[in-house]
Amino acid sequence: MALSREAYRALEDIVGPENISEEPAILDSYAFQWLAETIRPGQSKFMPRPEAAVLPGSTAEVQAIVKTCNRYKIKVKPYSTGWYFYCAPQTEGVIQLDMRRMDRILEIDERNMFAVVEPYVIAATLQAEVMKLGLNCNVTGAGASCSLLASATSYHGAGPSSIFGGENNQNLLSLEWVMPNGDILRTGSLGSGLGWFCGEGPGPSLRGIVRGMLGAKGGLGVFTKCALKLSPWPGPAELPVEGTVPAYNSPLPDNFRAYSLAFPSWENYFEAYYKIYDNEIGYIAHRQFSMLGTELGTAFWMLYNDPTKTLDDIEEFTQKPEIKKLTEEMKIAFQIVLAGLTPRHLEYQEKVLDEILADTGGWKVAAMSQPAMERFTLLYLIRLGHKNLNFVYNGGWLGTFMQAGPPDYVKGYRHIAEEVTEPYQKKGLLVDCGVDAMMGPVGSMGGGGNCALEQFGYYDVADKESTDAVVSWTKDCVKGAIDKGFVPGKGSHYLAMGMTREQRQSSYASAPWLGMYRWQRKIKGIIDPNDIGDELYPTLDEPGK
Amino acid sequence: MALEDYRADCVSCSRCSYCKWIPFDHVKSWRFSRACPSIEYSKFQAYSLGGRLSVALSLMEGRSGYSEALKDIVWKCQTDGACDVADKICRYNIEGLEVLHELRFRLVEEGQTLPRHMAVIDNLRKEHNTMLKPKAGRGKWAEGLDVKDLTREKAEVVFHAGCRFSYDAELHNIPRTALTLLHKAGVDIGIMGKGEMCCGGRVYDMGYREQFTECARNNIRAWTKAGVKTVVTSCADGYHAFKRLYPELGANFEVLHTVEFIDRLIKEGKIKFKKAVPMTVTYHDPCHLGRRGEPYVPWQGKRKKIFGQIPVWEPPKPRYNGAWGVYQPPRDVLKAIPGLELVEMERIREYAWCCGAGGGVIDAYPDFSLWTAAERIEEAKSTGAEAIVGACPWCERNFMDAVKAKDEKIKVYDVIELVQRAI
Amino acid sequence: MAGEKERLIGIVGKEHVLEAPEVLEAYSRDQGFVRPMKPWFVVEPESAAEVQKIVKWANETQTPLVPVSSSPPRFRGDTVPSLPGSVIVDLSRMNRIIRIDRRNRMIIIEPGVTYRQLQPALAREDLRLSTPLLPRPAKSVIASLLEREPTLVPRYNWSMPEPLRCLEVVWGNGEMLRTGEAGQYGSLESQWELGLAQVNSTGPGQVDYYRLMSAAQGTLGIATWASIKCEVLPKVHRLFFIPSPRLEGLIDCAYRLLRLRLGDEFLLLNSSNLAAILGGGASQTRALREELPPWVIIIGVAGRAKLPEERVEYQENDIRDIVQQFGLKLVSAVPGAGERAVLEAVLNPSPEPYWKLNCKGGCQDIFFLTTLNRTPEFLRTMYSVAVDLRYPTPEIGVYLQPQHQGTVCHCEFSLPFNREDSREMARTRELLSRASEALIEQGAFFSRPYGIWADMVYRRDAGAAGILKKLKEMFDPNGVLNPGKLCF
Repeated sequence: MALSREAYRALEDIVGPENISEEPAILDSYAFQWLAETIRPGQSKFMPRPEAAVLPGSTAEVQAIVKTCNRYKIKVKPYSTGWYFYCAPQTEGVIQLDMRRMDRILEIDERNMFAVVEPYVIAATLQAEVMKLGLNCNVTGAGASCSLLASATSYHGAGPSSIFGGENNQNLLSLEWVMPNGDILRTGSLGSGLGWFCGEGPGPSLRGIVRGMLGAKGGLGVFTKCALKLSPWPGPAELPVEGTVPAYNSPLPDNFRAYSLAFPSWENYFEAYYKIYDNEIGYIAHRQFSMLGTELGTAFWMLYNDPTKTLDDIEEFTQKPEIKKLTEEMKIAFQIVLAGLTPRHLEYQEKVLDEILADTGGWKVAAMSQPAMERFTLLYLIRLGHKNLNFVYNGGWLGTFMQAGPPDYVKGYRHIAEEVTEPYQKKGLLVDCGVDAMMGPVGSMGGGGNCALEQFGYYDVADKESTDAVVSWTKDCVKGAIDKGFVPGKGSHYLAMGMTREQRQSSYASAPWLGMYRWQRKIKGIIDPNDIGDELYPTLDEPGK
Repeated sequence: MALEDYRADCVSCSRCSYCKWIPFDHVKSWRFSRACPSIEYSKFQAYSLGGRLSVALSLMEGRSGYSEALKDIVWKCQTDGACDVADKICRYNIEGLEVLHELRFRLVEEGQTLPRHMAVIDNLRKEHNTMLKPKAGRGKWAEGLDVKDLTREKAEVVFHAGCRFSYDAELHNIPRTALTLLHKAGVDIGIMGKGEMCCGGRVYDMGYREQFTECARNNIRAWTKAGVKTVVTSCADGYHAFKRLYPELGANFEVLHTVEFIDRLIKEGKIKFKKAVPMTVTYHDPCHLGRRGEPYVPWQGKRKKIFGQIPVWEPPKPRYNGAWGVYQPPRDVLKAIPGLELVEMERIREYAWCCGAGGGVIDAYPDFSLWTAAERIEEAKSTGAEAIVGACPWCERNFMDAVKAKDEKIKVYDVIELVQRAI
Repeated sequence: MAGEKERLIGIVGKEHVLEAPEVLEAYSRDQGFVRPMKPWFVVEPESAAEVQKIVKWANETQTPLVPVSSSPPRFRGDTVPSLPGSVIVDLSRMNRIIRIDRRNRMIIIEPGVTYRQLQPALAREDLRLSTPLLPRPAKSVIASLLEREPTLVPRYNWSMPEPLRCLEVVWGNGEMLRTGEAGQYGSLESQWELGLAQVNSTGPGQVDYYRLMSAAQGTLGIATWASIKCEVLPKVHRLFFIPSPRLEGLIDCAYRLLRLRLGDEFLLLNSSNLAAILGGGASQTRALREELPPWVIIIGVAGRAKLPEERVEYQENDIRDIVQQFGLKLVSAVPGAGERAVLEAVLNPSPEPYWKLNCKGGCQDIFFLTTLNRTPEFLRTMYSVAVDLRYPTPEIGVYLQPQHQGTVCHCEFSLPFNREDSREMARTRELLSRASEALIEQGAFFSRPYGIWADMVYRRDAGAAGILKKLKEMFDPNGVLNPGKLCF
C-alpha cells in the first residue's frame, strides 16, 4: 500500500526531497527491529515496512506532516532514537518519522536545574553538557544511547540513578506536543509563554494525558521538545576516562564510592533496600552485574576487563578458582554508588551504609572494591554506556517481570521468575547463565520506595529453536505471574505486540482494569479523531463498533 | 567468506545505535559526540552500521534488490570503522565492519558498481595507481634523493610512498623528508620508485577484493625479491593494508608507519631535535593507522555453542576493536618536539572522527568527503590549536581542501613536517 | 424538587442533608471576594459509594455539585457555588485513615482527614508528612495535595503533586476509577497481600489521572481516598535562620543550598509573614514585624533514621560553611524569633485563628509559580501596585517556597485586610485584581487559577483551555461538578 503520489508530494514539500524516502532498502532499515523475531511470521527481523521514512527538522514541519497525515488518513509513527520494536510501524500504511534532525539541547538553566531538549538528544550528550555545570540527568535503564525525551514522554523513565535523580516522568517539566490531530499543545508554564520550568497547570495538569505509566510509545502524536529537571552532580566537569576499549573506567575523585553489596539471604537483601530508602543514601543504586546471570555473569565481567580476552574465553574464566569464589559471593548482591555532595555528606553516607550492612548482615564485596573494578563500576553506572551488554551473549535478550513495586512485592515474584526460567536454561534453549539473571533499580522513583527486578532470558536470535523458546518462556513467565496473583509484567507487553487487533480488543475487554481502556478511547477521540496513531495507545472499542 | 556467512551478525544486531556515536564513556560534549560521518551526512537509518546490517539482511532475504539507492547506501561510507569500535563496546562478537566489506564485495561481484569507482579501478589495472594518473609519474616524488632503487637493488627496509604521496605534488615533501630522516639515521632503506604498485588497501575498502589481491601479491613478490624485511610507509592506508590485510595472503614483513619508526629512533637517541617549534597543534588519528591499524593475528576457528546458546569460536577469535592501533607513537613524537604543545580533540584514538577520504568516498562522493573533513577541522579549531597534524596523505589532502574551501586559518601538517622543523 | 431531596436523603440519610439557613449561609461565601451564592443543600456522604450515588443523582437531576473537604475558613472561592441550586458535597465525614504502612511509608486516607488529625496518628507510627506552611488545622490533607499546595521540604518534592500518589476517583459522570498502580490490580486488600502499597502514581495505562485531578478545584472528579508518601519522623530536628536585609541577598545562597540538597524545611519569608506565623494578635504582630530581620531563609534540618545527630551536625556545618561563603550568617535565633518557636510553628498546623487572619481578620493571597531568581522583580511589581493603591506595603506577607527540589518557586503575597472596613475591602480587592494582572503580564505563572485568575490565565493559554474543556466534557458530560470554575 504505497502512499498516493499526492500524499507523497505533500510530505516531500514539507521536508524537502532529501528528507523523505520510499526506497525499499531504506524502509527496511526502519522495519528492522530488535524483538521483531519474537512476534513476526517466520521469525522475521522486520516489522511492517513503513510506507515512507520522513525526517522532520522542526516542530512546524512535524505539525505540517501530522496535518497531512490527517488529510490523507495516513498513520504516523515517530521515533527518537528508535530502539525497540515498539518504535516501528505496527501495521501497513504507516509513515515513520525519524526525529534525528531534531537533536538540539535548546537550553540549560543551571540555577533552576533543568534542560530543554529535542527528541534526538541522547542521555550521553545531555549528561556530558550538564556535568560541565555541576548537574546530571537521570540516564534511564535503556542507557546512554537513548532519547531522554522519549523516556520522559513515551516510555519508562527509570534508571539506576532514579533514587537520587528521579524518574523521568517525575522530571518532566513543560513540553511541546504535536497532538495527533495536528494541534500543538504546550503544557505547564510553556503554554502561557512563560518558559519551561513547570510542567503542571494552569489548573488540571494536561501532562496527565501525555504518558501515564509507560507512555504511548509513539502512538499518540509527536513530542517535539521537553524540559527535564536535572539533579546535582558532585563530580568533575568532564568524566575522566581511562582504560582500554571496551572496559573503560573512571578514576573519579575521592567523594565517590562504588560498592557491590552482598547479603546472606534475599530477606536481608530487600531489608537493605528499605533501610536505604529511609536513610536517603545513594547516588546510584542498582542490581546491575547480575543481569548476565549469577552463575556466568562474574566470569564475563572479569574477562570483559581484560582487553586481550573475548567471549570465546568465558569457559576458561568460569574455571578460575577466584572467579568461582566471587561468583558465589555475588549471588545476592547489588551495586551502589555513593557521591558526596560535600565531604561530610559522603562521610555520613558511609557510616550509615556500614550500619545498614551491620543490620542486614551484608558486606562490601572486596574484589569489586579493588580500584580497577571500582572505577569500572563507577563509569558503568554513571554513564550507562555499556547498557547493551545484555545482548553480548548472542544478540538475543528479552526481559520479563519488571513490575515495579515495593521490595516486599518484588521479592514475591523473584521465585516465580527463577522457577519458570530453570527448565529453559537446563534444556539449553536459553543461555544457561543461572536462573537468577535479574537486574533492576533499587529505587525506581525519586527517593526510592519502589524497585524492580527484571528477569533476563538470552536466546540466540540466529537460532530458530532458541527464538521459539524465548517466546514460550515469556508466555510461561506471564502465566506464572498470573497464577500467583501478580499482574503480567513486561513480558506481556512484548507478547501483546504480536496480537491482532481482535486479540487485543479481547484482552482489553477481559482486563480487570478495562475502565482505563475506555477512558483512553475517549481521550483518543478528542486528540486523534482520525486515528493516525497506532495501537500502542490502547483503547477499547465501543460495543458494536 | 561471503555475505551469507554473516547472516548471524546481521540478525543479531540489536538496533541499539551505538554505531552512530563515539563510545558513550568518552562523550564530552553534544557537539563532538557523533562517530559516523555516513549517518550524520545522509541521515536515514540505512546509512548507519546497524542500518546497513538490516539492508544486507533485506538483500539476502530478497526483500529489496539492487538499485541506485542501495548502491548509495553501500558506498556512501568511509568504512572508517568508528561504528565497529563503538558497536563492539557491547557487541564484540558482531563483525560489523566485515559485513560492510562483504556487502561491497557482493555488489562488485554482481556488477553493481559506481562509475566513479570503475574509473579508479580501470586506472589501477592499467596504471597501478588509484589517482587516475599514468604509471610513468609514480617515482617523481623521490627525484634527486640518494636512495636505493629496490627494483634493482636490495635493502632491509622498503619505503612505500603510496599513491597519494606519489602523485600529490603538494605533499611530496613529506615522503621525501621521511625517507631522508630514516636514511640519515642509518637505516638500510630503499624504494620501488616508479615500479611501486598501489597497496590495494583503498580498493579493498571500495569492495574490489580481486584488485586488492593482485596489488598485494605484486608487492609481496617485489619486496621478497628485494630482500626486504621491513616495510615502512607514511601512508595510513598503506599501513593498514600491509599490517592487517597482507599477512592473510602470506606476507611476513615487519610493517611500520614512519611515526612508529621515528618514535623508535627518537627513543634510541638516533634522532635528536635541535630547534623549538613553538606551536600548539592537535593530532588527528588516521582511521587506518589507529583503530583499523591493529596487527593481524593468524586465526582459524570453528563455531560452537556453549552454555546452551552462546555461540563462540574455538579457538578464541582475535578481537579487533581498535584497542591495539597506533595511537601513542605519533603523540610521543610530537611531545618530544621542543616548544610544541599537543592539545587533544574530543574524538581521538579508537573513536576519532574520520577525515572523510576513505572507502572510496573521496572518489565517488567528493562533497560528502569534504563535509566530513570540514567537521574534523571544526573540532580541531575548538581545541585552540594552530594546526591539525596527521600521519596520512589522504587525511591531509582532505583537510587541506576543506581548509581552503572554508577559507580557514588552521594549518595542516604531517607529523614528519614538524619533525623536520625541529631538526 | 421534593422528590429530588428525598432521593438525596435516601443516599446519605436525613441528618446528612442540611438545609438550615445558617448552614447554607456558611457555605455561600468564603474569606475571599468571590460572589456569594447560597447552595440548595449541603450533603455529607460517608463513603465512596454514597459519593458515587450523589454524582449520579446530580447527573440525573442536572444539579451542580460543589465538593468541599476542609472546614472554614476557606479562601480560594473554589468551594463557593457559582450557580444557584448547587449542592455542597461536604466530605469531612469521610475522615478515615484507611492504612498507615510504616514499612513503605505510605498511607491511605479519605478526603475528610485533616492535618490536625493526621500528624499525631503518623507520629505514633514513626512517620510524618511534610505540610504546607501552617495549614489550617481542619484543612483536608487530600484537598491540599490535590490543589498542589506547596509543601515545606523541597527535597522530597520529586514531582509537583508529591507526595500525592494514587487516588480513588468518582468522575463527574459517576464512574469510578482507581488511579496510579492502585488501578492496575484488584482490591486494595489483595494489593496489600501481594506487598503492594499504592506507591506509583502513574497510570493506569497511558494517562496520569492524578495529574488531571490536580488543581482541578473539584471540577472533574471527587477523590474518595488517596495514597500519600510520608517521611520518617525526625528524631532530632533543628531549625536555623539566614537573615538578610534584602531578598536579593539571599537568592544565590538559597540556590547553592538547594543544589546541595541541604536542609529539610526550606523557605523564605519576609518579616510580616514570620511575625504572623509567630502569632499573638495584630499589635504584637506589627511590633514583631519591626523587630524581625526583613528577610530570612528558614532551614530545618532533621535527623530521621540512622545517626540522626550526626546528620544534623554535618548538615549544620555544611550549611554554615556555605552561608559564610555568601557573606551571610546561619543563626538559631534572630531578633524576635527563636529556633524552638518557629520550629514549633512550621511543623504544625496553624493555631486558631488561622495565622493569616491574625493581623487584620482578613487576608487575600496572590500566589503563582516562577523561578527563585525572578522573585525580586515580582516583589517589586507587587509593591509598586500596592503603593499605587496606597496599600501599606509593610503589611504584605511574602512567602517563597522552592518546589520540585528547587526548580520551581512558589511565590505568595499575603495581603491582610480588615473585613469590617469596606474601603479596605475594596482596596484589597482592587489590589488583587491589578497586581494579578501586572504579575501575569510580567511572567508570573498562575498555575492554580482560582477565582478571577482563571480568565486571566486561560486567555493566555487557549491551547490548554481548549483541551481542558474537552476533557471536562469527557469526565463530566453534564457539567455537574463545580461549574463556573477554571475555564468551565
